[in-house]
Amino acid sequence: MFPTPIARTSSGTQIAYKIALPVALVLWLLPLIAVALTSVRSAGDITAGNYWGWPTSFNLLANYTAIFENTPIGKYILNSFKVTIPTVIGSVALSCMTGFALAVYKFRANLIVFFMFVAGNFVPFQILMVPVRDLTLNMGIYNTTAGLALFHIAFQTGFCTLFMRNFIKAMPFELIEAARVEGVSEIKIFWYVVLPLMKPAIAALSVLIFTFIWNDYFWATVLTQGADTQPITAGLYSLNGQWVAAWHLVSAGSIVAALPPVLMFFLMQRHFIAGLTLGAVK
Amino acid sequence: MASITLDSLTKSYGQTEVLHHIQGEIQHGEFIVIVGPSGCGKSTLLRMVAGLETVTSGQVSIGDKVINDLEPADRDIAMVFQNYALYPHMSVEQNMAYGLKIRKFPKAEIKRRVEQAADILEIRDYLKRKPRQLSGGQRQRVAMGRAIVRDPQVFLFDEPLSNLDAKLRVQMRLEIRKLQRRLGVTSIYVTHDQVEAMTLGDRLMVLNGGYVEQFGTPIEVYEKPASVFVAGFIGSPSMNFISAQASKGQLTLPDGTTLASNTSANGPVTLGMRPEHLKQHGSGPIQLEVDLPEQLGATTLVHGRISGTELPITASLNGIHAASSGDVLRFDAPVEQMHIFDAQTGKRIE
Repeated sequence: MFPTPIARTSSGTQIAYKIALPVALVLWLLPLIAVALTSVRSAGDITAGNYWGWPTSFNLLANYTAIFENTPIGKYILNSFKVTIPTVIGSVALSCMTGFALAVYKFRANLIVFFMFVAGNFVPFQILMVPVRDLTLNMGIYNTTAGLALFHIAFQTGFCTLFMRNFIKAMPFELIEAARVEGVSEIKIFWYVVLPLMKPAIAALSVLIFTFIWNDYFWATVLTQGADTQPITAGLYSLNGQWVAAWHLVSAGSIVAALPPVLMFFLMQRHFIAGLTLGAVK
Repeated sequence: MASITLDSLTKSYGQTEVLHHIQGEIQHGEFIVIVGPSGCGKSTLLRMVAGLETVTSGQVSIGDKVINDLEPADRDIAMVFQNYALYPHMSVEQNMAYGLKIRKFPKAEIKRRVEQAADILEIRDYLKRKPRQLSGGQRQRVAMGRAIVRDPQVFLFDEPLSNLDAKLRVQMRLEIRKLQRRLGVTSIYVTHDQVEAMTLGDRLMVLNGGYVEQFGTPIEVYEKPASVFVAGFIGSPSMNFISAQASKGQLTLPDGTTLASNTSANGPVTLGMRPEHLKQHGSGPIQLEVDLPEQLGATTLVHGRISGTELPITASLNGIHAASSGDVLRFDAPVEQMHIFDAQTGKRIE
């Protein structure tokens, strides 16, 4: 069997394994542990330079209530949802349709259109920063959650189309032909035959896009400002006071901000992993 | 009346012509099998009748109506696919009813038709199941059920049995034949399996490289193959071919053996003899040096060479026969069972 089970290896290997594993685990989790610990420290600990030691007091409740009471974190979270959910729905819905069209119909520009969708993914998005900011400004949607969501939909649809097109392409084409022979119209083929079979792809892609967009920091800082529009990733930094760095509050905020995607991941783990490999093999 | 006419039907992909001027008349209620090796264009031809491939030139008609430009839905056909193409998310019942639902049939009528088809195909017990809970044979029945509930003018079968195991294939073959007889619907059936072709078809259309080699009843095709290709393709084990010289009604084989024949041909020809038509005879002119005997129980196939040459030849002997490698067996070649083909064109010479 490969790899050889640890229980059957030499005692030297077993000891090395038993030491290396916890060390690796702690190293891996160190930043997270630090953030989690910091989020329960008092402000005094941080000023005193007690970053890694045992906290002098555990202010779990105090810190976490403080961020909700004293800062607009609730608003930031709401903004995050206002951006993420429309993006997930919008880009998945659009890509179901574009993917269907590109996978099922043979037309002259099919491959060119498909390559354009794919090529979009290879553009380093940082170079679009200034033009996109100007574009949204001219369109009057700068500094709105709708504008940010619209931009994300536009940008994610390329990747989603690649994903969906490959998924539909892998379905047996006879299903569509059988429906055509039976007299099912193309729109009904999409709705009643293809769409129900795309459920796994839709679930996987939704989880993936939700995580991508929720964790987006770059566009959030480029296209929005202020508590009225900024999602939580961008808003976190503003939890620092104007003159005092309140790292314990920022840490608590980070943990809260990380919760939705983490929950999403654990609830939909199966789909998430499917999503990473779906469409990759074809 | 659902007769089908193929008139000079041609299909090209870009510059490549894959079907060349296919000609054929199919009578109402007839069961036609299109048979040929893979890549001969048989599925393409079927799909052109179905409307899933466009017609490059020529005409397809059902009855008196040219259907070249009709959508598949408007041709009043039903098709059974090789991989069944059942909708995985619908139950058996929904699969069968879907085509009728789309055509806005009344609910009671749909139910009646589905139940009737389920009774004919003996799948009543599975109506509530999903396709993935069915075995290959059951899925095949559902696919046929979906075709017959619509009561179409024409059935099209695209290698429907090739995904089944050998035993089930024989059983389903019989059932398809019985069903078609019972319903009397004009059918076109595509297969690469010559046994299916022989047993199912009222007539066979043998395709090779996009040309119709022969279009006739199974017996005609077996007894009077129109070309070397048809002769070699139909019949199992395959026909033996030996190049020979014909003159004055006699055939001279490469090893110098002369055979009596009634051919009028002169010059180089190809002689075809089916293994089952070689008669073992102590003083027969054909000498077979055995390489390998195959015992099939009912018959014994003797593979070997014509003595003193490298020309392969196979004979089929009745019953169990103890022949071993190196033995020389002698055979008679009955004149009426000989097939003579032009050495160049491969066409049959009477």
